[in-house]
Amino acid sequence: MTKDTDEILAWVADIFETPLEKIRPETKRDEIEAWDSLGILTLIARMDEDYHILLTDEEIQRLRSVGDIIDFLHRRDANPGP
Amino acid sequence: MAKCMIPGAAIRGIFSAVPSRRFDNFEDASGFTAEEVRKVVGMAGVRSRRLAGESVCSSDLCLAAAESLLEKVGWERDSVDALIMVTQSPDYLLPSTACLLQAKLRLPTSCAAFDVGLGCSGYPYGLYLGALMISHGGIRRALVLHGETPARFADESDRSVSLLFGDAGSATALEVEPSESALPWAFVLHTDGTGYEDLIIPGGGFRERFPEDRRKHYVSMNGPNIFSFSIKRVPAVIQDTLALAGTTKEEVDYYILHQSNQFIMKHLAKKLGIPEEKMPLTLGDFGNTGGPSVPLTVTRAGLARPPDRPLSLLLVGYGVGLSWGSALVGLAPEAALGHVELENRD
Repeated sequence: MTKDTDEILAWVADIFETPLEKIRPETKRDEIEAWDSLGILTLIARMDEDYHILLTDEEIQRLRSVGDIIDFLHRRDANPGP
Repeated sequence: MAKCMIPGAAIRGIFSAVPSRRFDNFEDASGFTAEEVRKVVGMAGVRSRRLAGESVCSSDLCLAAAESLLEKVGWERDSVDALIMVTQSPDYLLPSTACLLQAKLRLPTSCAAFDVGLGCSGYPYGLYLGALMISHGGIRRALVLHGETPARFADESDRSVSLLFGDAGSATALEVEPSESALPWAFVLHTDGTGYEDLIIPGGGFRERFPEDRRKHYVSMNGPNIFSFSIKRVPAVIQDTLALAGTTKEEVDYYILHQSNQFIMKHLAKKLGIPEEKMPLTLGDFGNTGGPSVPLTVTRAGLARPPDRPLSLLLVGYGVGLSWGSALVGLAPEAALGHVELENRD
């Protein structure tokens, strides 16, 4: 089941502990303070926990904006975790 | 496929050693703001570390551990048939550090001694080799030494590693197990060298002997890749080891994992459904000491040991290589565990 875009936005806001209103598809990585080297580890962990996706190096590099995360999850047609 | 059961070996004792110099990440870390330290410590879980400084090598730490261990288990030096030194921080490019240690420990010249060049995954590999040699016959007593000084190869200005690493050594005494009722040990050992650049010291070896860029003599780590590797490989190797041994997750008393990073380890515990009390953490006090963090955790975690049966330990190493492996072993109630501190010399 494909995740709804709004749900993914809320998920990203939760990961980076950033107010939801600051998280839009066009928001770039460098505009989110917590999306730093430690934030990437949290993103990897939550991808694994919530969607059972193990990100590869190339996939990590390609995620440069919130929209990239949304597109990635839509492409993977990810199933939410239990 | 490197999966096997090895009968006939027993652990008589494990000793660890750390330098006496303690570095408190909150009080002693210069070049970082308090907020940066709080954030890194919050994630990695390393509050303090033990540092070897410029004059203590991994061999010195292993020597200190081995001396105390030999005394504790009461082995005559002449009775030691083999010495395996597992390290990626040798004294010299050549000769093997194991040869220096054979002499310093006053072991007989009839003793086989060699190095194994593995880091974070080194302890299961070292136990595998020692157990295999004993099981095959001829070798009755073997010392498996595993020491690293990762803090010495970390660039202090590199935020990905500088607050993480500590230094430690260890010594494990393996002996022929005469009892046929003892369970064989299970080993699963794996490698993916395509990730060799994810944790590397590029300079100083023969690929690039004298690089001008000083940073090439320090370790470089791709944290996200190492994390992805860990969460992909560690659960699988643990499950494979349990299946090989025909046991269940619940029957293992403790999961002693390489103390890589608290965030990674807690994620692994959760993913595997292992209660946190069964996966002890010692990196808060010692940092990530590389592969020796596994024996260091066995000695320092305050494991509850039943008096009437061996403790079932699943020992897991993973990291540089990329290399990973696990060993399911029994630790008898009478096996000696100990820990020593080595005075810094500078």
